[in-house]
Amino acid sequence: MDNMLIYMARRAAFAVFLVFAVSSASLVLARLAPGDYVTTSLGIDARRETIEQARARYGLNRSVGEQYRDWVVRAARLDLGRSLIYDRPVADLIPERAANTAVLALTALLAATLVGLPLGVITGSRQGGIVPLAIRAMSLILLSTPPLLTSLFLVFVAARTGWLPVGGMSAAGGAGGASLDLLRHLVVPAAALAMPLAAMFERLQAQAMSDVVGQPYVLATLARGVPRSRMVWRDALKAALRPVAALYGLVVGTLLSGSFAVEVITAWPGLGRLMLDALRARDVYLVAGCAAAGSLFLAAGTLMSDAALALVDPRTSE
Amino acid sequence: MSVRTEPRTFNRFAARDTSTDLVSLLTQARLVRINRVTQEAEPWLAESWARSDDGLRYTIKLWPNVSFSDGHPFTADDVVFSFEAVYDQKTGSALADSLKMGGRKLTVTEVDPLTVVVAFPAPFAPGLRILDNLPIIPRHKLEAALKAGVFASAWGLSTPPADIVGLGPFVVSQYLPGQRLVLVRNPHYWRKDASGTPLPYLDRLTIDIVPDESAEVLRLESGQIDMTFSSVAPESYAIVKRAADAGRVKLMDLGVAYDADSFWFNLKPGAFAADARAPWLQRDELRRAISMAVDRQLFADTVFLGAGVPVYGPITPGNKKWYAAEAPHAAHDPARARELLGSIGLSDRNGDGVLENARNQPARFTLLTQKGRPSLERGAAVIRDELKKVGLVVDVVSLDAGALIQRILSANYDSVYFDPGASDTDPAINPDFWFSFGDAHFWNMMQKTPATEWEKRIDELMTRQIASPDEAERKRLFDDVQTIFAEHLPVINFVAPRIYVAASVRVTNLTPALSRPQLLWGADTIAVKR
Repeated sequence: MDNMLIYMARRAAFAVFLVFAVSSASLVLARLAPGDYVTTSLGIDARRETIEQARARYGLNRSVGEQYRDWVVRAARLDLGRSLIYDRPVADLIPERAANTAVLALTALLAATLVGLPLGVITGSRQGGIVPLAIRAMSLILLSTPPLLTSLFLVFVAARTGWLPVGGMSAAGGAGGASLDLLRHLVVPAAALAMPLAAMFERLQAQAMSDVVGQPYVLATLARGVPRSRMVWRDALKAALRPVAALYGLVVGTLLSGSFAVEVITAWPGLGRLMLDALRARDVYLVAGCAAAGSLFLAAGTLMSDAALALVDPRTSE
Repeated sequence: MSVRTEPRTFNRFAARDTSTDLVSLLTQARLVRINRVTQEAEPWLAESWARSDDGLRYTIKLWPNVSFSDGHPFTADDVVFSFEAVYDQKTGSALADSLKMGGRKLTVTEVDPLTVVVAFPAPFAPGLRILDNLPIIPRHKLEAALKAGVFASAWGLSTPPADIVGLGPFVVSQYLPGQRLVLVRNPHYWRKDASGTPLPYLDRLTIDIVPDESAEVLRLESGQIDMTFSSVAPESYAIVKRAADAGRVKLMDLGVAYDADSFWFNLKPGAFAADARAPWLQRDELRRAISMAVDRQLFADTVFLGAGVPVYGPITPGNKKWYAAEAPHAAHDPARARELLGSIGLSDRNGDGVLENARNQPARFTLLTQKGRPSLERGAAVIRDELKKVGLVVDVVSLDAGALIQRILSANYDSVYFDPGASDTDPAINPDFWFSFGDAHFWNMMQKTPATEWEKRIDELMTRQIASPDEAERKRLFDDVQTIFAEHLPVINFVAPRIYVAASVRVTNLTPALSRPQLLWGADTIAVKR
């Protein structure tokens, strides 16, 4: 147990370091790149005097080192600075968008799990047949299709059929109740995120399942007369879940930090879109804040993954 | 309707992005409005005005019985306050430059609650036209912020909608970050239609934020939105046309745009002093040769998918009042282009198809353009391919907007292909482009004294053009400016796109215009069929 605690503390310390390093690097890189918020927002025809006044007002006339030092001091007090675009504290902007991203990502994860794992059990426990073949082929197609294209396709279908909203998170007027409205708006972006993920789970689960069903103890169980379906869905599945469970946390992290393409196409007001707007406008504090939130998600996911692995296989924490 | 980006603030004085400008246009009003169709200035909050004999002072009468959206009366004091706010040093308003003449402010004096006098520091032919840039804001709501030096932060996006007060047709009702903005009818709006019906006709206007253009078009054609703020991009034209043919949307061809994309070289003296290309890179002959080498029709077909017309100067045929049809322009003639290049020492000395200078170094330069803008990136590729045919090697480099603007401002480039655009169709309102000392004289900005004789001549002509009260004389003078410009080509323009806009068939009373916002500039009279 002590080993486990030390292990988790070490991983948590690494997570803190990851968040700090990623946000610091984002701020410095955004600041060092040619051009800045003022040139981007005032445009090419602004007067030099106006540009210099604006730079002074936003503190962009200071050196990178000076600006970084101030940011670190304030960040230590959880003050991530003020967004240049929105003139609001970054610490206020991030949570509202991160919550939206979390809703989308967790829905996609749930859908991918409910679809991907059972399909993986089917394909991994059967050697031949048209159904496993079709599932495998579909998985490969979905795995090789970027979420950007999937979301464009789904938006196209939604627009053509009129069955679902094309984008956004709620309808103007919110007809039909807030929860139902949110669910309707979730379908397209969550499906775009979930489809490649479900394919990945299916492939992973199928591989793990096929390894397990070949084990001597499984063959012995079958030889004792236990029905195959019971063996597969009860005994083999339990054993085959371990590698997928170990990867789960990491998937959560990448989902939460990497869904921005889908958010842009489907107009989902999440963290990814905020980051994109910040990068375009060269809003250094918002870029750093979004990067911190993204890496925090990633770190939390990795931590969960490490914890799951440590629980499943105690040797990991030794 | 939809916009691609959300507004940065509800305070138009603090930001100049298109979405903030749109919200300001819908929720606030100006003293004078430029009618986007006729391009003439017309009284708006001003009932009438009279100009002094010397042309420097305008006495403006305001409409009586006008109230802000919270019911507070609008008076001349609010006009004075709006000028105080725009010129406030601490605010550093994004609008201030457009309301100054050569860096000098206008002065505004309240005569009585319904009369103000606006004085110009020098004769200015467009007169009150520039007041279209200034939304009139309420002193009673914003004076405290201005006095406290925090006006630029006032009316941020987290401000409760009830606190945002204006004289426009709509008021902000709800803002959902990243999703939408809901505007509702301003109950105190002061305009009525010809039959006395209070405006606006619309009860509510929902502005969805849709960052992706394809998704925006899909929403339009599926009827989930009624119009888009952006015009129809060439890539989307076919989809929208199909929807129009099916009777789902109205597709409107507004004609040739006021602005054309621009190509220019860095003409700052000494910029290439230590460069072997110095003898030819800044020569008039090079620019004339390039203008002749590029097939403008091919350019229009490739870059704008046929929806564009060849142009030979920064003022396009779309700007009917100021376009100089008689200004010289050279037709597509690659052979003549090669001759011109030969006259500045560039010829193909080793038969490899690439021109070289006398020291056998290839004629090569870098062209910067903006990344992520399909028409600019396609245009740069066409320029590269067309110039290759006459032996010039062009290396295209795409940069993000901030980096590109930084390179232009620091004169750290060979050439640029970009779309700077003009803020108004009247050249007197874009003096920074034409004057050699201007900040927007891109090819050689902020000259202390004109670097060339022709720029000196343009300075003289524009000085007279801006001051002259005689419109016919102003046109003659500006025709001369365009002729000199066409002879020296400091900026080469190839094609001006045609502008198309689309709206749902249920939207009526539209008066589309070429300048932005093409459909919503007259938002108070737009209606929808029930």
